[in-house]
Amino acid sequence: MKLSSGKLPPWILMRVLLRSFLLQASWNFERMQSLGVLYVLAPALRVFYRDEDLVLACQRHLTYFNTHPFLASPILGTTLALEEKRSRNEAAGSIDVDEFKAMIMAPYAAMGDAFFWGGIRPLAACVALYIALQGALWAPVVFLVLFNVPHLAFRIGGLVGGYTQGVRLTQVIQRFRLPDLAIRCKEGTVIFLGGLCASLVFKCLQGEKVWSGWGFTAIPVVVLLGWLGRKGVSNLILILIFSGILLLLAR
Amino acid sequence: MPFVADYLFAAGIAILAGLDRTAAMQFMVSRPIVAAPVTGFVLGDPWSGLQVGILIELMWLGRLPVGAAIPPDDTQIAVAGTALAIIMGSWTGFSGLPMILLCLLVSMPLGKAGQGFDRLARKANGWLLERADAALLGGRLASVERFHLLGVVLFAAASLATYLVIMSAGTVAVWQLAPFLMPLLTEASPWIQLAFPLVGAAMIIGTINVSRSVVLFSASFVAVFLLLWHQ
Repeated sequence: MKLSSGKLPPWILMRVLLRSFLLQASWNFERMQSLGVLYVLAPALRVFYRDEDLVLACQRHLTYFNTHPFLASPILGTTLALEEKRSRNEAAGSIDVDEFKAMIMAPYAAMGDAFFWGGIRPLAACVALYIALQGALWAPVVFLVLFNVPHLAFRIGGLVGGYTQGVRLTQVIQRFRLPDLAIRCKEGTVIFLGGLCASLVFKCLQGEKVWSGWGFTAIPVVVLLGWLGRKGVSNLILILIFSGILLLLAR
Repeated sequence: MPFVADYLFAAGIAILAGLDRTAAMQFMVSRPIVAAPVTGFVLGDPWSGLQVGILIELMWLGRLPVGAAIPPDDTQIAVAGTALAIIMGSWTGFSGLPMILLCLLVSMPLGKAGQGFDRLARKANGWLLERADAALLGGRLASVERFHLLGVVLFAAASLATYLVIMSAGTVAVWQLAPFLMPLLTEASPWIQLAFPLVGAAMIIGTINVSRSVVLFSASFVAVFLLLWHQ
């Protein structure tokens, strides 16, 4: 049964947005975020559909779904727009909602993982660590601000933009060139790490009254450890071995 | 009973920060650089927390929570490591950097339990999904939503379980090891303190998908080092 004939009320959209922060609460190995997607969309689906149509709509969204949690918002916003069209029988000629979700979730997952987990998060952490090493207790605040500004922009803007612009939002997101931005962030992280390690090594040598020239040996050590890490040696093992050797030398 | 209160406060932070890892929000308050200073602040020693955050943050930063991969639970290591350092510091009379290092060296292997508990929570969520499927067939959408929210409880239980494992075994281990290891740790602490971020940085350099990462790292290292040396 068709019900709605207008746009979603803002408070329903707000409920969907707030629920999107719990998208992964029931993450499971079988269908990953599927139950979370239904939980997020449920307030809006209740507006669009009633009775059997509502159950059918819910079943449509209880299928396998997995993407980056922050980039799920634009997908779910667009999903709302498509569901709204469908509920008004205006979907003819436009992409099917299941098809859209299945098509877009993997590329968005790859972009989100590279940009947020691989790019922004390490860069924000390095900046915060640099500040923390100066003894500033507000370093965690810097980290949270640097990370959460783009995070919330994608979460809020993505959901609202997806709902208002529909599938056109994918073109807008494409224009951000997230994979390129991720590479720039990663390069920034590596440069920050170099400076951070240099500061730490210099401080340690000064404190221990060791000739500073020895500090350059840290570069091959880091490269060797990085190579071991790439070969699958656990950093837990490495730090335990390192600490054990240093404790033995201290005897 | 001030120590019991400390254990409980830290448990509360462990649960909230643990939920932030996957189940809720993901504002990254679960990162060690945030979770550890917050724990320290609540227990009355934010500086120890900041120290723990600095030491642990880089360790598993390169391990991405992609797909079904479950990274090591650095959140609980940071929270429990901070709590252990502060509480055991008061109990044993040892404090400062050597005590922080001892607590972290004990907490880190114990933190491996976190991956197991997280996996269990995700498996139990599969059971919730089955129940949700059945509820939806019966037309009970409200029940479906409740099953989803039960997942929060399961993830919270996993975080609490990891925290309890680290705190209980960690308390005993630190209590036993402190008298023997503290003199050595006091001697070696500046070098071990340096080893933590170097190993973490190496793991990131080794796994980050950037061409010329070694060149960029080395150039930045040399530039900053020379600048500091000739100041």
